[in-house]
Amino acid sequence: MANSIKIALAGNPNCGKTTLFNAITGSEQYVGNWPGVTVEKKDGVLRGHKEVVVQDLPGIYSLSPYSTEEKVTRRFLVDENPDAILNIVDGTNIERNLYLSTQLAELGLPMVMAVNMMDVVKKNGDKIDFAKISKALRCEVVGISALKKEGDMEAAEMAVALAKGGERGTGNGERGGGLRKLPDVPHVFSGSVEHAIAHIEESIQGKVPMRSIRWYAIKIFERDREIIRDLGLGVGDMKHIEEHIRDCEKELDDDAESIITNQRYDFIKKLMDKSLALNEKHKNKATLSDRIDKIVTHRFLALPIFILSLCAMWWLAVAENGPGTVLTDWANDEFLADGWHLPFTTHEVDGKDFDAAQEDFAKAEATVKAWEAGEKKASIEDEETGEVSDEWDIDEAAYKAAKEVEEPDPSKYGVWVPGIGALVSAGLEKVGVGETVKSLVVDGAWGGVATVLGFVPVIFIVFLFLAFLEDCGYMARVAFIMDRLLRKFGLSGKSFIPMLIGKGCGVPAVMAARTIENERARRMTVILATFVPCGAKTVIIAMFAALFFREQWYVAALMDVVGIAIIILGGIALKKTRFFAGEAASFVLELPAYHMPTFSGVWHHTWNRLKGYIIKAGLIIFPACVFLWFVMHFDWSLTLLGDEEIEKSILHDLGSWIAWFFSPLGFGSWQGAAASVSAEIAKEQATATLGLVAANMGGATTGANIQAFFASVSAFPKLAALSFMVFNLFVPPCMVAIAVTFREMGSKKWGWFAIAFQLFVGYVLALNAYQLGILFAGGGFGLWTAVALLVDVWCAWMVLRPDRKGGSK
Amino acid sequence: MNVSSAIVVVAVIAFAAFAVWRVLKKGMPCECGSSCCCGGGCYCKDGK
Repeated sequence: MANSIKIALAGNPNCGKTTLFNAITGSEQYVGNWPGVTVEKKDGVLRGHKEVVVQDLPGIYSLSPYSTEEKVTRRFLVDENPDAILNIVDGTNIERNLYLSTQLAELGLPMVMAVNMMDVVKKNGDKIDFAKISKALRCEVVGISALKKEGDMEAAEMAVALAKGGERGTGNGERGGGLRKLPDVPHVFSGSVEHAIAHIEESIQGKVPMRSIRWYAIKIFERDREIIRDLGLGVGDMKHIEEHIRDCEKELDDDAESIITNQRYDFIKKLMDKSLALNEKHKNKATLSDRIDKIVTHRFLALPIFILSLCAMWWLAVAENGPGTVLTDWANDEFLADGWHLPFTTHEVDGKDFDAAQEDFAKAEATVKAWEAGEKKASIEDEETGEVSDEWDIDEAAYKAAKEVEEPDPSKYGVWVPGIGALVSAGLEKVGVGETVKSLVVDGAWGGVATVLGFVPVIFIVFLFLAFLEDCGYMARVAFIMDRLLRKFGLSGKSFIPMLIGKGCGVPAVMAARTIENERARRMTVILATFVPCGAKTVIIAMFAALFFREQWYVAALMDVVGIAIIILGGIALKKTRFFAGEAASFVLELPAYHMPTFSGVWHHTWNRLKGYIIKAGLIIFPACVFLWFVMHFDWSLTLLGDEEIEKSILHDLGSWIAWFFSPLGFGSWQGAAASVSAEIAKEQATATLGLVAANMGGATTGANIQAFFASVSAFPKLAALSFMVFNLFVPPCMVAIAVTFREMGSKKWGWFAIAFQLFVGYVLALNAYQLGILFAGGGFGLWTAVALLVDVWCAWMVLRPDRKGGSK
Repeated sequence: MNVSSAIVVVAVIAFAAFAVWRVLKKGMPCECGSSCCCGGGCYCKDGK
């Protein structure tokens, strides 16, 4: 490898490591404003230094081997021997952060301490004496603001200079000061402890690198089993060492690990007394964050505030006449379809605007059609319900008048900008392609992509809202609130962090479960994490909210609430089985101070997610729709079928074979089956496939076709649509997330269990939505209503039955 | 089928094949916002 210098970026969780990493390497790693985002170490090349690799390590509080993050970080620092450590420290919480710094310093590696958030420290009027900290910890100390990109490169370059020199640093704490060698690592313990450590150092000489010998000696003093095992210390060695440790414990009347912890904190306390001057004005006053937290983490108000914030997000995204709906309507019906009039350029022709002229034309068309069919009344049906919305008498005079009505030319009513769909159609007609090929492009390839792209405004609003909540610090509070709630049911809030990540995508959500040490809790988290609707599932919600629940926008917010409810209830039910029984894992969560998010930060988060969604429309939805168009337009003998012969198609047969499975859910047709199965490619494919398979329903738009499809399969189209949405939201996630689930589970048995559990939950929820919906809508009580109720009773028993004690391993 | 139609069909199939090849090679694009180890490229190949 050409790179020869390794710089390790280490620090507490959520202190800004990944922000600094992105700034100094130009990477775009995800930065979450809650702890536990970085699960594995990540590499990047330092800007302007091709020979330097920076390693972003998971955030940790100490170098003890208790959590997965600590193990990953410690293994890297000890085994892979980086050339220097760039220790990032939260300047607003410096005292607590120094606990890790003292341990890092003991490793004996060249180290630069970058005190982050100095802009906030200065704003608060606090002062930190870098020189004193530098002298005490024997390392360089510099102030930076990773978010504002101040001092970040200087800190990194200082680490490179130290690495090249192989020296520990100046100890004078002056930014950019000359480097001079410091002979040793900090000594922070009392005489008797130092005496014992010195003896241990003697015993392990030659077995460990000399520069890290003090760190090893302290770990052995703490009786760190992993280190003792790795060094292969014999009974004789340990007997001698144990004598010194026990003498020390006797003298200080405490156990070895506590002695080290307490004395470390004493050292830090004394150092802070000398080097940290807090602004007297703010010293004992509650900060703004504290005051906000009193409300948003209040034991009774916290949950309603969280649900209200979800409602606000969905209202903005999908409520009738809300920004999301207005933009989505424009994108679906105008920008990606026929076209639109430039604002402020429209005018009336013959006293009518374009919409009124279109209505007249639709009525004229209906009149001609009815008269030619020999009828005396013409009517227009509502595309969603199939009900007659307008009916009038016709005669020969009306027929003749209707024949004269011409389709309105939009360019006469204002400046008309053709939509992409219209341009594609016109282009194909111009080059003279046949109707079948036009259908392949317009209904198949472009139709599917356009269905997905039409919801970009909704997705954008959801991602923007989430990025804002996350960057301002609220999402970390959500984890805290959920921990409090989950703990009541014997579950750990640590499991909720992957679920927060899952709001963007299920794949990193499943991977984030790695931070959970307990295998049972980890498996349970993997099973439950994808129940929070991800970005792709948001498209399904957005589509059904737009087509069926415009006036009930809260149905969209309800899907998130249902997701969280399943996590809680599913977790309780699983914990009561012998496979998942056990105590809830402890969860340490540090709440970051609230701050106004930066535009670039929020935009970066939003765009990174939106970009994936748009790329997916081209790379996944496009080929999938082309494939589906072919299997929908060819029969088994590969003969091309006309639009009226679709029932002979391969897709029709494949869908029909499994349609029975969906019948109790209200969409038991080949179209519903094809859409649901294709959603396993990528969840938003469900919407694209629905658009494709419903293309011949006779509606004017894709949305109208989908409404007509549900009206054709059920007497309760809204309930069938709700059931379809619920099923596709809560059954197993897309195939990539399934593959990751199998990998993270570590066994096929558990992988299949996760898939079966998710399929069961999705099916039962959809069954309830449809069957109980029909019952309450006065549609009667049938066999499947009874099945739904029986399954509900069994599920309630699984949740409410007495706790299991212990459980098998 | 006329020449124009043939060219359009070949173009559509070629782009679809290219998309499949790219996904197989680089991984699945997703909305993770680079929160998994995809290095900011938004491609998750089996989550690696």
